[in-house]
Amino acid sequence: MNDAVIWTVIAGMAILNFAVRFVPIAVVSRVNLPGPVLRWLSYIPVSVMGALVASEVLRPGGQIDISPANPSLLAAVLTAFVYRFTRSFLGATVAGMATFVFLRSVLGM
Amino acid sequence: MRSVSESASHNQTVTDTRPTRRSRFARGLRLGLPIFLGYMPVGMAFGVIATSIGFSIAQAGICSATALAGAGQFIALGVLKAGEGVIAVLVATTVVNLRYVLFGATLSPHVRGMHLPAQALLAFTLTDETFAVNMNDRRQGLSTGASMAGVGAIAWSGWVGGTVVGAATAAWIGDPRAWGVDFAMAAMFTALLVAMAETRRHLLIGAVAGATVLALPELARLDVRIGSSWFVVIAAVAAATLGVLAFDE
Repeated sequence: MNDAVIWTVIAGMAILNFAVRFVPIAVVSRVNLPGPVLRWLSYIPVSVMGALVASEVLRPGGQIDISPANPSLLAAVLTAFVYRFTRSFLGATVAGMATFVFLRSVLGM
Repeated sequence: MRSVSESASHNQTVTDTRPTRRSRFARGLRLGLPIFLGYMPVGMAFGVIATSIGFSIAQAGICSATALAGAGQFIALGVLKAGEGVIAVLVATTVVNLRYVLFGATLSPHVRGMHLPAQALLAFTLTDETFAVNMNDRRQGLSTGASMAGVGAIAWSGWVGGTVVGAATAAWIGDPRAWGVDFAMAAMFTALLVAMAETRRHLLIGAVAGATVLALPELARLDVRIGSSWFVVIAAVAAATLGVLAFDE
């Protein structure tokens, strides 16, 4: 791979990734938003997480798989339970990863 | 200093017992520790793959240090490897990260008083996980600029550290998927979703977003790998809009 291409990609990514994150914060925090817009924004975090989890867990590898044979789904259910009852973000993440590795490498799912 | 004031008088003011900026930063570091542990292995995977397509260790590390873009960086590697030009790579990584426009807008009401340089620092370390941890902390009324800086600092360290270790030891690591790396992000997202779906209303809106993201590519018959980040943005916008319309206050 051409060195100049790699450096150009690195510089371009640095600038663009910063721009999409910074411009909305800098602009929106300096205007007064009406109530409905604020309420809309308050729903965005849970919406994005719901969409990300569905994408990652129910559509691993690009195919929808809602069945007990989907190791991502089983590991995610366990992750959710661990978080629900321990409130430990770290414990839930590690438990989920360990379950996933176990299901895949030991049970060959 | 605190111990002096504590021993000096019994009738100290409330402000004396409030956490200092440094303790808030440390609190952010603690909150971000799971992110660090999640980012290390995924960052290592990025380092391994980046060196396999011709990045040097320094280039992989600098890329992670300046972009801090998770999925966006992996997509960039994929497009580069496919032999596409610089423009195609940059368009792909930007599209994948469009959801940060939403995240930034959502954070905005909470960082109104903050100076531009502090907002820039916060924006630089804005990722799915730092956003979720900060918003969760914010809901409990504990988050401050200093704690957000702590969350960002430790997340950045895990991502960059992981990348450099992965790039430097690529020959010995082999396939990073062997240790569950491909589920690390999903596990973090799942725990955060449970944390955010506290009320029935939020649970319902999250479920609508999930159903929408699954339905979109079926409706449009589009390539999931290329379109998935658009789907997340569209589904989130649709679900939040429905939420405002359905739960009028």
